[in-house]
Amino acid sequence: MGVRRRSRRLAAMITVAGLAFGAAACGSGSDSAGSGDPNTLEVWTRSNPDPAATYERVFAAFTRKTGIKIDYQPVINFDQQLQSRASTKDLPDVMINDTALMGSYQSQGLLKSIDPASIEGHDQITDKTWASTVGTDGEHYGIPYSRQAQTLMIRTDWLRKLGLRTPTTWAEMLSVAKAFAERDPDGDGRKDTYGMVVPGSAQNGYAAWWGASFLWSGGAKIIEKDGTGYRPAMDSAAAVRTVTWMKDNLFCGDNGVIQPGAISAITGTATNFQDGNAGMYLTGPYNIATYDATPGKDTYEVVPFPAGPAGSTVLADGENVYFGARTGKAKQEQALAAFLISPEGQRLAMTGKNQPVVRIPVNSTLDAAQVRDDPRWSVVQRAYEDASEQFPNAPDFAPIKQDTADALNAVFTYCGSDVGAGLKELNDTLAGDLKDQDLLK
Amino acid sequence: MTATTATTATTATTATTLVPRRRRGPGRKAVLPWLFLAPGLLLALVFKFLPMGKGIWLSFFDVRPFLGDKWVGLDNYTRVLTDHRFQDAVGHTLLLGIGQSLGAIVVGFFLALLLEGQARSLKIIRTAVFLPVVTATAVVGELWRLMYYPTSDGLVNSALGLLGLGPTPFLDNPDTALWATMVMGVWIAAPYNMVIILAGLAGVDRTLYEAAAMDGVSLWQRLRYVTLPAIRPAIGIVLTLAAIRGLRVFTEVYVLTGGGPAGSTEVWMTRAYTLGFTRNDIGGASAASVVLLAVTLLLTVSVNHFRKRGDVR
Repeated sequence: MGVRRRSRRLAAMITVAGLAFGAAACGSGSDSAGSGDPNTLEVWTRSNPDPAATYERVFAAFTRKTGIKIDYQPVINFDQQLQSRASTKDLPDVMINDTALMGSYQSQGLLKSIDPASIEGHDQITDKTWASTVGTDGEHYGIPYSRQAQTLMIRTDWLRKLGLRTPTTWAEMLSVAKAFAERDPDGDGRKDTYGMVVPGSAQNGYAAWWGASFLWSGGAKIIEKDGTGYRPAMDSAAAVRTVTWMKDNLFCGDNGVIQPGAISAITGTATNFQDGNAGMYLTGPYNIATYDATPGKDTYEVVPFPAGPAGSTVLADGENVYFGARTGKAKQEQALAAFLISPEGQRLAMTGKNQPVVRIPVNSTLDAAQVRDDPRWSVVQRAYEDASEQFPNAPDFAPIKQDTADALNAVFTYCGSDVGAGLKELNDTLAGDLKDQDLLK
Repeated sequence: MTATTATTATTATTATTLVPRRRRGPGRKAVLPWLFLAPGLLLALVFKFLPMGKGIWLSFFDVRPFLGDKWVGLDNYTRVLTDHRFQDAVGHTLLLGIGQSLGAIVVGFFLALLLEGQARSLKIIRTAVFLPVVTATAVVGELWRLMYYPTSDGLVNSALGLLGLGPTPFLDNPDTALWATMVMGVWIAAPYNMVIILAGLAGVDRTLYEAAAMDGVSLWQRLRYVTLPAIRPAIGIVLTLAAIRGLRVFTEVYVLTGGGPAGSTEVWMTRAYTLGFTRNDIGGASAASVVLLAVTLLLTVSVNHFRKRGDVR
């Protein structure tokens, strides 16, 4: 009896352990429907249902043209699912995801290297754009698919009502933000409007993503290339000056310059521009389709980011096509990539009633504004071509972005904090991140 | 379902001991319970124990599935346990877990006392009160984020405004964010505890209440000397569940604050999640999870030990 009770107790303990650990442990992978069929490619994109509809249209056209079938999976929690599949060594054949993740994927060995010459139409992508897919070992690990740069969305009806001009400097932007917050631009007699939308949470690195354009335009960098390696650069005078300006004027300044709850907001919850109670939002052009519906196409315009002390350089990013390691379907993958970067494939992905998945085309024969018959896209294209900078793609940037976001979020949260000390600590952390990757110079 | 299976197994085992043939070795009747248990055990093996074993194994490696995992021994544990962000997260987890568990037990107990009875109206109210338990935590988190909206438009702040108190940025102030998260956690868990305690209250001998009333005891004395001792087994179950659930808190925090602001609500599981899926440090995330497993196990065994000691007494 005693033995039985002991064994039951042991079984109960193991069950408890299993329940406790099950959520945290790695999930097992799943075989895709067509993974065994050489004429079917499993393709993953990080997409919500709306952009996924655009991808489906593009892949259907590809299948009609080549006969190669696509098993398409739009995945919202992409990184989590990818790590699960990686643990079973069964990756999707093709993945389309952010450019800044390339270093992370390459460092884990998840990607096949690519010879640009093997992709038909490779010469229609500029050398500058191809350069953004080179890894730490000098090999290409992605095929450019879409690019974009941040621009400022601003309520022109509010500007007109308050007799203000479109801001061209940070000081003017701040004045406009204060006017939007204080002078009742929506005319409802209530103080319920805000100057600017900020996704300032550290979650998923948002504070670094949104803050990067301020850093670049303030003359700061997060890390700098140094010979064959990198060195952290967040303790520079320009970085301290820029972050101090952001803290004093946006987060700890007059109430209403940014929306309430900005310090814990991510892009999914920072909906104030769309809700019609904030007048400016520095963001990517993928929002244009959404904002044309609400607050309405005639209520706002897309303008370049106002200039900081070092110009108006904004964060550029985009998506690459990646080939999963060891899939053995090189010919089909190359055919898909060739279609995706072709004028036909890019046009399809830029148009239609759903959210476009190609923003600025990588194919140099196309013009974004012409394809869409919408001059606002030329503002984005000019920002990308003339005044933008991407997160470095060669190192594993994921920990660098997360640590930067954590530090910026902390500086913006504690208004009495010493910015210089906070950024010095961040710099030491970034040095550790680079050292972990054997890239510290 | 687990309780039913366990009862079936116990009954079957008891029945088996009465049959003389049982002495000659494991007969068909002895195998039968295991046949019934097999599907559940198989599922548990595939979806619980194998991943758990793999997680423990990975915690000793620098995980690079396609480049070959590198054995690093206890390095992941050393790195995780000496990381000040992780240490802070453990502190927040303990505070949140203990506060949330005790809060949910106290609130659940009072809800059970208020809603005990057979009246039809009580059944409706009990169902309404139970809703937070069956609603997806992510949805609850989103609702509470709106309720905590930091201007007077937010539900909580508009209520505070009626009392003449200014709007409070509950989730944006590092001094209040963890407490605000705790209140939501209590709101979610209390009705679950209420149901278990209600079941306990249903078993209390009514004559004890009548005797107590005749003796003229106060309400507090009735609670202290009749109700609480009678529902001790229910409280034991609630405590055991709270010990497990308290440390594994994740969704509430992830949806409500994402661990911020300035890491003030970062907990064990959100830190492990960030390590694993934002920083792609699967080895570190596994080590953090294994430590969590060990502590949860220890806590569960301790709670059970003290519960049983209390029962004997």
